[in-house]
Amino acid sequence: MIPAPALRALRDALGAECVREDERVLVDGEPLAPTLLPADAEALAAALAALTQLSLPCVIRGGGSRLELGNPPRGAAVLLSTASLAGVDVFDASEGVCHARAGTPLAEIEACVAPAGWQLPLDPPGPASTLGGALAAAALGPRAQGFGRPRDCVLGLEVALANGTRTRCGGRVVKNVTGYDLNKLYTGSLGTLGVIEGAWLRLRPRPARVELLEAASLEPSTACARAFAASRRSATRVALVHAARGGAGERRLRVVVELAGDEASVAQDAAWCACELGAKLAPASVLENLRELQGATPDGRGLRFRIAVLPSRCEAALSRLWQAGADVLGHPGLGLVYASFALPDGEDSAALAAAFLGVEDAVSAGAGAVVLEAAPAWAKRGRDVFGDLAGALPLVRRLKRLFDPAGLLNPGRYAGHL
Amino acid sequence: MPGLVERLRGIVGGGACLARPEELLVYECDGLTLHRAQPTAVVLPRTRDEVCRIVRACREFGVPFVPRGAGTGLSGGAVAQRGGVVIECSRMDRIIEVQPIDRYAVVEPGVVNADLSKAVAPHGLFYAPDPSSQLVCTIGGNVAENSGGPHTLKYGTTTNHVLALELVLPDGEVVELGSRSGFANGYDLVGAVVGSEGTLGIVTQVTVRLTPLPERVETLLAIFPDVVSACRAVGGVIESGMVPAALEIIDQRTIAAVEASVYAAGLPLDAGAVLLVELDGPACALPAQVLRIREIAAASGASRIELARDASERQRFWRARKGAFGAMGRLAPDLYVHDAVVPRARLPEVLAQICAIGDRHGLRLSNVFHAGDGNLHPNISFDRRDPGELARVLAAGVEILEACVAAGGVITGEHGIGSEKRDFMGLVFADADLDAMKRLRAGFDPDGVCNPEKIFPSTRFCAESNPKARGYERVPFGS
Repeated sequence: MIPAPALRALRDALGAECVREDERVLVDGEPLAPTLLPADAEALAAALAALTQLSLPCVIRGGGSRLELGNPPRGAAVLLSTASLAGVDVFDASEGVCHARAGTPLAEIEACVAPAGWQLPLDPPGPASTLGGALAAAALGPRAQGFGRPRDCVLGLEVALANGTRTRCGGRVVKNVTGYDLNKLYTGSLGTLGVIEGAWLRLRPRPARVELLEAASLEPSTACARAFAASRRSATRVALVHAARGGAGERRLRVVVELAGDEASVAQDAAWCACELGAKLAPASVLENLRELQGATPDGRGLRFRIAVLPSRCEAALSRLWQAGADVLGHPGLGLVYASFALPDGEDSAALAAAFLGVEDAVSAGAGAVVLEAAPAWAKRGRDVFGDLAGALPLVRRLKRLFDPAGLLNPGRYAGHL
Repeated sequence: MPGLVERLRGIVGGGACLARPEELLVYECDGLTLHRAQPTAVVLPRTRDEVCRIVRACREFGVPFVPRGAGTGLSGGAVAQRGGVVIECSRMDRIIEVQPIDRYAVVEPGVVNADLSKAVAPHGLFYAPDPSSQLVCTIGGNVAENSGGPHTLKYGTTTNHVLALELVLPDGEVVELGSRSGFANGYDLVGAVVGSEGTLGIVTQVTVRLTPLPERVETLLAIFPDVVSACRAVGGVIESGMVPAALEIIDQRTIAAVEASVYAAGLPLDAGAVLLVELDGPACALPAQVLRIREIAAASGASRIELARDASERQRFWRARKGAFGAMGRLAPDLYVHDAVVPRARLPEVLAQICAIGDRHGLRLSNVFHAGDGNLHPNISFDRRDPGELARVLAAGVEILEACVAAGGVITGEHGIGSEKRDFMGLVFADADLDAMKRLRAGFDPDGVCNPEKIFPSTRFCAESNPKARGYERVPFGS
């Protein structure tokens, strides 16, 4: 809880109704209160200016889908929510671009643009995901393979810096090299350089035809090889391999492929999938379930890693994780493997060490960057969930200091415990 | 600068260090010949270590340095505005690694864009960004400028194709950014460096994404009575949900210039505009798309639509587009190639304004542009020896930028700000926006020694003197 004078100052800056003392949110076990809910972008800037004045660090929250991502916050007392900055301001159907405010749920943007034949191809797990949160976390879902990552959707951003200064970068047009591309810097910076107020987004045409196919129970090497081959088909938007532990440790994987595009390409690739994978039509819920699995942890208290791999090394990484006892979900085309490990009750450091050993084994099999996306607070102690940034760390530190000199935005949470 | 040239010769050898005035002449400018400044010396390193030592020597002697690729840039980005050392990377031209399965290549910055595509073609792959200068421009320069090209509509610009970079920082340290997998932890510094116009360091190695060659390509040429109906067709294509590889418009004035030149492609001289559409993808998908393009073009008023029957016909269609700049050479000794972007739906009205601006100033102005991206290239043919005409060219340029910004656009889509447009950044960005960009700069180059006098407005144009900077009363901007 923050001191009474600070609370009064925040109420004065934002209005009492936007300072919620009764809402206590736990982030990595740390209770944060009050929650600040600025009503618009100006109020967000005012909130940041007030926090700077009071030297109060804050944790930033969009829809709360990924509040578990990051190292434990260091010394933060206040939660700053962008939830009230909601709505699609502009949708230009002739252009295929829209502008939405940070707190807008992705589902709302999709519902707004879909009737005119467009889609925002951001499909991270978490039905409450907001635009600002998804961009800040560079959160992606299975369709990133076919449509690109959050960085590819952003045309322009409005960002409030730590001291409350409001800034813009990029623009609303689809091609732009006017000044530095700060869109890239802010996207994926987890709110540690500034708070996203709103964004101009590039939309994609909705495909004329979509088909979801599934092939169950394949040997791991066969499954990976076929999913990889499927990922190279022209109409493929998603090619996942998935294996959940169960049934006496049986080592079988399933392959899920989503095809999207024009009628002819989808039909051609669907025939290929039927022939080469033995894949059959699957209901949409199959993909939805896998998306949610990608963002889930076993029993809500286990570990979940995201491991970047070269496509050619996907199978090796996947097999080793599987051997180490993980549930695995792999995107051979995108080059990502998600591995989740159940943890027993209590602080079981042996189980933790075993999981990390499995991940290290996978990394040595040719994987790249690892993120511990979710873990109980005790399991995050003494480590950096983003791993070692090596040579880039001094640059990352300098930029953090230049954008947020007082260290008020998501303190401690980012790579290098910045 | 006593001692500096000797030091540089000691690093790269005498033959790779130019310092005589006549040797430096060619380095006075890049593709934008209006902005000129002579460097103190030019060095042509062969290795990363040489680059590091050159950078350290510059620091020691207190002179700035400027990275340079092939010098084809069009915004003065590779010019040593404040003197100093130009570091030309053209001799670092090795393709180090090609991985066809994982679809990436590791290259040195001096590799020529088209050479990379040629080298990976046997694997059924290509390097997608294809700026018009691709036969000579280098990957390092492309990274600096975030280069585009006619095919960015479908494939994106350089930033969508760079996975990792090795960068020599302005203090001579080497840092590796990004990863071959495309996923690295920490800030997206690859994304920040691509398009930073050589102001954050010198790229000494680039890992690029390779793209599978399309199974089939179809190219159509549609003749329109005027540019407005050609733009209407472009809008129709975008709204139809198709994503062609390219959508290019050539206006009547350009057609006249092209047809009178060696690039003549048999375009009708009475055509008001020509729309070039390129579709690529799986063979099974293209017939339906070709049909749809024909329908949209006809409905928009096309008087004739041709489909290229073979590769030579496709080349003829493209010759009209790619030869446009060369054809302008017949009209006048100098050519000013402008670059700005507007929302696609605003193209007809902005084009009309641009032509009116040219006419008002009595200039020979024509348009050939990436219509699918809304990326305009008004070309002004002129003679810079005529000071009156030069002044009118510059005045018209400012008015063109203002018209594009007023329509919700920006002042460059692919050429960069460089020294050319630094004083017009205030048309798009407020001081606070530029200040945030300066923070990025300070993180990499706190002393401002790497390609100074670029991107940011010169002091006399700074701050309050830019009343046109659009502030927050118009949030969201451009709407």
